[in-house]
Amino acid sequence: MAFTNKPQVFNAKINPITFGANGHEVTLGGSNVYPLYSFDAPIANAPKVGIQVSDKGFDASLPELAKFYEGCNTVVEMAKRAASAEGVDFVCLRLESADPNGDNASVEDCAALAKAVAEAIDKPLAVIGSKNVEKDATLLGKVAEALTGYNPLLLSCKEENYKAVAASAIMAYGAKVAGESAVDINLAKQLNVLVKQMGIAAGNTVMNVGTAAAGYGFEYVASTMDRVKGAAMTQNDVDLQLPIVTPLGDEAWGVKETLLEESDNPAWGAREERGIQMEICTASACLASGSDAVILKHPASVKTISAFVAALM
Amino acid sequence: MAKFVTIGERIHCISPVIRKAMDERDPAPILKRAKEQIDAGATYLDVNIGPAESDGEERMKWAVQLLQDNFDNVPLALDTSNKKAIAAGVEVYNRSKGKPIVNSADAGDRISYINVAADCDAIVIALCSKAGVPAGVDERMGYLMEMLELGMGLGMEPDDMWFDPLVVVAKGMQDQLGDVLEALRQFSEQGFKSTGGLSNVSNGMPKNLRPIMDSAFIAMAMQAGLTSAIINPCDLRMMETIKSCDIVKNEVLYADSYLDL
Repeated sequence: MAFTNKPQVFNAKINPITFGANGHEVTLGGSNVYPLYSFDAPIANAPKVGIQVSDKGFDASLPELAKFYEGCNTVVEMAKRAASAEGVDFVCLRLESADPNGDNASVEDCAALAKAVAEAIDKPLAVIGSKNVEKDATLLGKVAEALTGYNPLLLSCKEENYKAVAASAIMAYGAKVAGESAVDINLAKQLNVLVKQMGIAAGNTVMNVGTAAAGYGFEYVASTMDRVKGAAMTQNDVDLQLPIVTPLGDEAWGVKETLLEESDNPAWGAREERGIQMEICTASACLASGSDAVILKHPASVKTISAFVAALM
Repeated sequence: MAKFVTIGERIHCISPVIRKAMDERDPAPILKRAKEQIDAGATYLDVNIGPAESDGEERMKWAVQLLQDNFDNVPLALDTSNKKAIAAGVEVYNRSKGKPIVNSADAGDRISYINVAADCDAIVIALCSKAGVPAGVDERMGYLMEMLELGMGLGMEPDDMWFDPLVVVAKGMQDQLGDVLEALRQFSEQGFKSTGGLSNVSNGMPKNLRPIMDSAFIAMAMQAGLTSAIINPCDLRMMETIKSCDIVKNEVLYADSYLDL
């Protein structure tokens, strides 16, 4: 008997959310099929690829990365260079120096830097905070204020600080915000409900449901994303119909396979090559599981993942 | 399977307030009851305009438009013995949130309501009874098959026929409640959707006991496969039970706020 294709097209869809401004916008979500199932129906907005730039600079011990950022003396110059990398849809500034357990840079300085970056680049801007929940509660609001008019995407509010972040960043300054949970589907939904209960309309928030580097418990990530998309589509669960944004550079570059120097284990080859491979493996797995955007560190992995997405659309 | 569908029963012209509001075309009491039910989590609202022999068509149109205009096209069950009034209501009905439901057909005098539903591409509630209470599970299954054949012959999808096993009253027909649950189990086994007037189980019981009996029965009925029910959504215990059962059955993803949703 001949095979008849029965497309799984749902009445439900992921909320489309646009960030960026002034002619440099990206839209995440909007799809009414499972992730990358472009054979079932055209995918409203292809998954997007962001490039992460840290305010503490880049890892100069990686020769290709050092070559890419050659001549960049400031974070703003790095961000401009990153924005020009092949396949980049948006730039993501990571305010690592704001961490109170590290440099503890002031929120004012960080906000000013974010604004300088936004002014310099010709791509939409996302900003990742210090990852300290207390600092981020004030930091993200201040960044949103500085970026008024740029419609940035801010990562992330968590269960511990969503009230402060949502009230300042979204309600006062109209930024888009990601709700972050640590690979826990019930908490992901709960956080979305809590933000909604503050009176914030759908269309202002995305989810960062967390990730792990490939091989480091990634099956939990895949299962979480599968179930999020399953509930969003088959059960029409409006509290899970948010695009998923997954920053994964820190995870991919932070495991044994990507930290160990070539001199420590020559059989493994160049560390940079391993890091790129780890970013590519993790990002492609995230996209297949449900990420609507991934954020990577290395321009070579950005280029590959962007080509991967284009080939599947 | 899917999330349990609740049909709010409180816009019923058996209530003097609603009857008066319908007679006088006074929106306020009807909108108030609609809002209470929607806020409490009702999926569908039942609109019972009574037999409405003289002005049923105009009355149903008015009620449908009133409710859908005020509540974002809330899906409705059109409940009257006046067939022309149902057709008139469907004419002005907006389907964006769900097909209209025709409430209701049975295997006896009211079997032609299946034709009404088929003609206007509606869902039909099909009561598995001919005259009075069906004698057992087999009789219920027999009526189901009769009505299913008619509906499918008219081009209806089986999913658009929601079979009602006829919930019997505990106080007096206690020995037959097992048949109701077994019938639901058999409907579900064959993939049919179902519904029923749930509060019938506690009819005649003291007021303070009714929510307890209703909640226990709906939990057992949901386990047997019941997919929807005509209920009072303002019964908090009942709604909490339904939402909890949807979690247990893995129809809704758990979150700490699941009762608020």
